[in-house]
Amino acid sequence: MLGIDDPQIWLAYILCFVSAVGCIIYGAFKWNDDSDNGEVD
Amino acid sequence: MAVSTPVLGLAVLAYMMVVFYLGWIGYKQTKDNDDYMLAGRKVNPFVLAFSYGAAFISTSAIIGFGGYAGAFGLGILWLVFMNIFVGIFIAFVVFGSRTRRMGVNLKAVTFPELIGRRFQSRFIQGFSGALITIFMPLYAGSVLIGGARFMETALNIEYNIAILILAIIVAAYVITGGLIAVMYTDALQGALMFVGMGILLIYTYSKLGGVTEAHQALTNMAYLVPDNFAAIGHTGWTTMPAFGSPTWWTLVSTIILGVGIGVLAQPQLAVRFMTVKNTRALKRAVLSGGPFIFMMAGVAYIVGALSNVYFFDTQGMISLEVAGGNIDKIMPEYINSAMPDYFVVFFLLTLLAAAMSTLSSQFHAMGTAFGHDFYRQGIMNGKLGQTITVTRVGIAVTIFISVVLAYILPPGIIARATAIFFGLCAAAFLPMYSGAIFWKRMTRQGATASLLVGTFSSLFWLTFVHGKEAAALGISQALFGVDTLLTGTWTVVDPILVATPLSFLVAIVVSLMTQPMAEDHVEMCFKKN
Repeated sequence: MLGIDDPQIWLAYILCFVSAVGCIIYGAFKWNDDSDNGEVD
Repeated sequence: MAVSTPVLGLAVLAYMMVVFYLGWIGYKQTKDNDDYMLAGRKVNPFVLAFSYGAAFISTSAIIGFGGYAGAFGLGILWLVFMNIFVGIFIAFVVFGSRTRRMGVNLKAVTFPELIGRRFQSRFIQGFSGALITIFMPLYAGSVLIGGARFMETALNIEYNIAILILAIIVAAYVITGGLIAVMYTDALQGALMFVGMGILLIYTYSKLGGVTEAHQALTNMAYLVPDNFAAIGHTGWTTMPAFGSPTWWTLVSTIILGVGIGVLAQPQLAVRFMTVKNTRALKRAVLSGGPFIFMMAGVAYIVGALSNVYFFDTQGMISLEVAGGNIDKIMPEYINSAMPDYFVVFFLLTLLAAAMSTLSSQFHAMGTAFGHDFYRQGIMNGKLGQTITVTRVGIAVTIFISVVLAYILPPGIIARATAIFFGLCAAAFLPMYSGAIFWKRMTRQGATASLLVGTFSSLFWLTFVHGKEAAALGISQALFGVDTLLTGTWTVVDPILVATPLSFLVAIVVSLMTQPMAEDHVEMCFKKN
């Protein structure tokens, strides 16, 4: 895939994109969320 | 490389003027200790994200780890994934919100102070401060080397002078403007880096004929791996090193896990969680933080690895040969020979910004660790009114040590020194820090034991077992007549894999064996605010 044969490498390559986009989605989704999810037991 | 000096001079001058302007704003806005230490606890989420990212990703990442990718290939992309997922998402959402809240509850202004107050221990604060003061200069020294290397190649400034120039400029605004100056300049520098790295990525791929084509060309070069590298597990630039080989262990244990997890316990980064007003700001910061790290680390490693294709096409050599065997020179060589002149000017600013942003946060963290945590709390038992002054002196002292280290550290050290510091932080601080914010039952004794066990087992492993450092230090050789006390695979297993689990175990066992801390104190630490 993408000119890279080793799945261990292209998986990392794709995960980099996915995680970066995931951060954008999370940040946008929680933009006005002020709930403190640091709950303790 | 022929960048015209006047153009470059003007660009640097304009950049410096903006930096100093922001430094001056920091100076004007700094009225009390909270301002100097924590930028007044009301930093904007974008400034937080860019400042965190710019402080996190330094020339170490771009030059050192980019060069590592040039030598050893794309396996290091796992570190990018860790950097985004652990270093941004987990750090901000899971660790950040609790750190911020506890920081406010305990009125802590530094990372060691947060932990020290949570466990009501001046020893923890003082010892952590001392640890940062002693070992962070190693990391700061290597960042200085990264910045100076680029100035040397691009500007033809003598290397030793470049180090000094860099240190003095950063010192000037950190000492005067405190964390406000640090974070605002970081954010500016982060924005510059973002644009610079974006251009670098697009330009590199288009020059090499496209994404898949470039990768394919790199894949096809596997037969060019030098024999001495193949012998230690290097299998090509688009494949993981041979499982269990020394290269594999270094990549997976030192770089991917050491740096990838170590970031959670970086004092200069954790302190930033305490600079924002509320949890919402931390969540918002994730939006820009993730892509930022991708554009920095991801781009540097991809481009570093692909530089092999460029150099092979143009000079018939792999990057490491072009760089004369010094991996720290791969990225500068590539940028100087492959990129158009105007971009070299811009990229110089990018790198200068990367170095300065990391240095400024390190200098600030070292200075506060020395002045506030170690000296004021650890030695003077909290007496002494002029904390800002003491901290300023602390910053000056630790900068001096970093500069000295930058002069004496061996070539090719950047990625390794960074990894050593991250690994040490993970072992010494991570169990204690996680316990502090997640586990009410953790006791002072548990935290102290974990801090000591993490620190000393990590240092022991570095000195006596982990081959690269143990052989270089020579202490094991002098005491026992052997380079390393253990042999075989052990010598390539990073300290983090041994010391961090051990430190976690000690933290849990000792805490369960000792009296819980006073309930009202624990409730006060954890209460909502």
